[in-house]
Amino acid sequence: MQAVLKQWLVAATCALFVVLSFPAVAADTSSAQEQAARQQVQPGNNAPMWRDVRSGNNPYQTTQVRGVETEVLMLPAGETWRQLRNGPITIYGGWLIVAVMIIIGAYYSLKGPVKLHEKPTGRKLLRFGAWDRMVHWSAAISFVLLAVTGIVILFGKHILLPVFGYSLFSWLATASKFIHNFVGPVFAFCTILMFLTFVKDNLLKRHDLQWFAKGGGLLTGEHVPSGRFNAGEKAWFWVGVTLLGVVVSVTGFVLNFPNFEQGRELMQQMNVIHAIAAIVFMTLSLGHIYMGTLGVEGAYESMRTGYVDEVWAKEHHEYWYREVVAGHKGGGGTASPAVASSMKEGWRA
Amino acid sequence: MARMKFLCDAERCIECNGCVTACKQEHEVPWGVNRRRVVTLNDGLPGEKSISVACMHCSDAPCMAVCPVDCFYKTSEGVVLHDKDLCIGCGYCFYACPFGAPQFPQDGAFGMRGKMDKCTFCAGGPEVDHSAAEFQKYGRNRLSEGKLPACAEMCSTKALLGGDGDVVADIYRNRVLKRGKGAEVWGWGTAYGKPEKAPTPPAGAKS
Repeated sequence: MQAVLKQWLVAATCALFVVLSFPAVAADTSSAQEQAARQQVQPGNNAPMWRDVRSGNNPYQTTQVRGVETEVLMLPAGETWRQLRNGPITIYGGWLIVAVMIIIGAYYSLKGPVKLHEKPTGRKLLRFGAWDRMVHWSAAISFVLLAVTGIVILFGKHILLPVFGYSLFSWLATASKFIHNFVGPVFAFCTILMFLTFVKDNLLKRHDLQWFAKGGGLLTGEHVPSGRFNAGEKAWFWVGVTLLGVVVSVTGFVLNFPNFEQGRELMQQMNVIHAIAAIVFMTLSLGHIYMGTLGVEGAYESMRTGYVDEVWAKEHHEYWYREVVAGHKGGGGTASPAVASSMKEGWRA
Repeated sequence: MARMKFLCDAERCIECNGCVTACKQEHEVPWGVNRRRVVTLNDGLPGEKSISVACMHCSDAPCMAVCPVDCFYKTSEGVVLHDKDLCIGCGYCFYACPFGAPQFPQDGAFGMRGKMDKCTFCAGGPEVDHSAAEFQKYGRNRLSEGKLPACAEMCSTKALLGGDGDVVADIYRNRVLKRGKGAEVWGWGTAYGKPEKAPTPPAGAKS
């Protein structure tokens, strides 16, 4: 690991030096001139030319074979990509996911789920309308498909191949590639819908700072009032859904459509960004999934049925609860507190 | 056992593309796939040189290292081969390879990649030697017949040498001594500069 890191520092420093010292075009002509000058003093010494070829950006290289970058004799950037992908991304990325799972597991076993303090009244409030839920679950299902297939593609060789054997794992990886490539654009579309649907209630308010300062009462158990979404959910919305969603979508599109004849170096860079962003996205999503299912009593039902109990609303989103009760607004734009029986019809709400 | 290597003598290559043609004809490779290509350096400038390049069968092959399904294997002769039945067509070997060797026939819409194809050093693949399946997927298996790669055998100026690395290096050394110039063994540092990875049995055989 140390050796790889050291190689990396050296490579990065060299790259920086090259970039800073020669603008691209100037480098091409100067190396040709250097070669000509070298022939005068040392005939037969072609070192400047070979150095140029190794760097992979000589403009006077041609070939009769058609295709993308066929005239490039050597592209050393691939080695850089290999070291990054097989090194830090796989090793640190993999352990990061494992570590977050362990932390969440430990938190759950120590603190258990957040339960309601008062008895539920049975009076239900509409928190997520049909559109909200449809958008959420479309994004959620496509995200999980992409996460699982992405894990198979990056880590499967290390964790699944030894168990499944070559033939079965290859079949699984082929399926993963197809699912990843076809679901990817669906997720990108869902990301846009998610943003448009939930941006209004995710704008940062003054009381969100207070929520952050108290860590949402996660460790103390203290009650921290919040609007329709608390600051933690807002952080997930802006950093996860929006920022990382856009990053993985844009980089994913570059990788998904090689028919636009983009070069290898661009795809290597996009792959590195895609992998890092996706791993961070997955670790954040673990937190969101935990809070939405095991972590908070009643949270899953709110997105499953669209309705929450009055007590739940008061204890988790007090400002939102007051607004709904005052009749200003509710989830999905409707403002009426609903009765218990309408929970069954929540699907149609 | 011999360690197979390619060497292209830039002082001799005349850019006739005979090796490219020989390869295509020997293995009946599909349209759009080029296992070997000739690149001309400083085209039209003084000191123009040409190099024939294909998979170099690297000591520490990057394709092998990044493959998500581990479909590559290395023969006891140092030839890097892959199992097309396992390949998923992700293109990672193509990102990693410094020589641009891995090729992908388009398979489906949006440039979706089919199974990777590359130079086999005329050594076929994991299928039974000389079987129809082997020829269809990987081309001719000349090595098992005691022959060297078709491209190198066909080379009219003997610029492209392919075979036992020690013999190839000896031939080249004698040339350099006689002509007194052109000692650059192109691509050998990248391909064979790292410690040799041990041969591995075909991937499928391990499961």
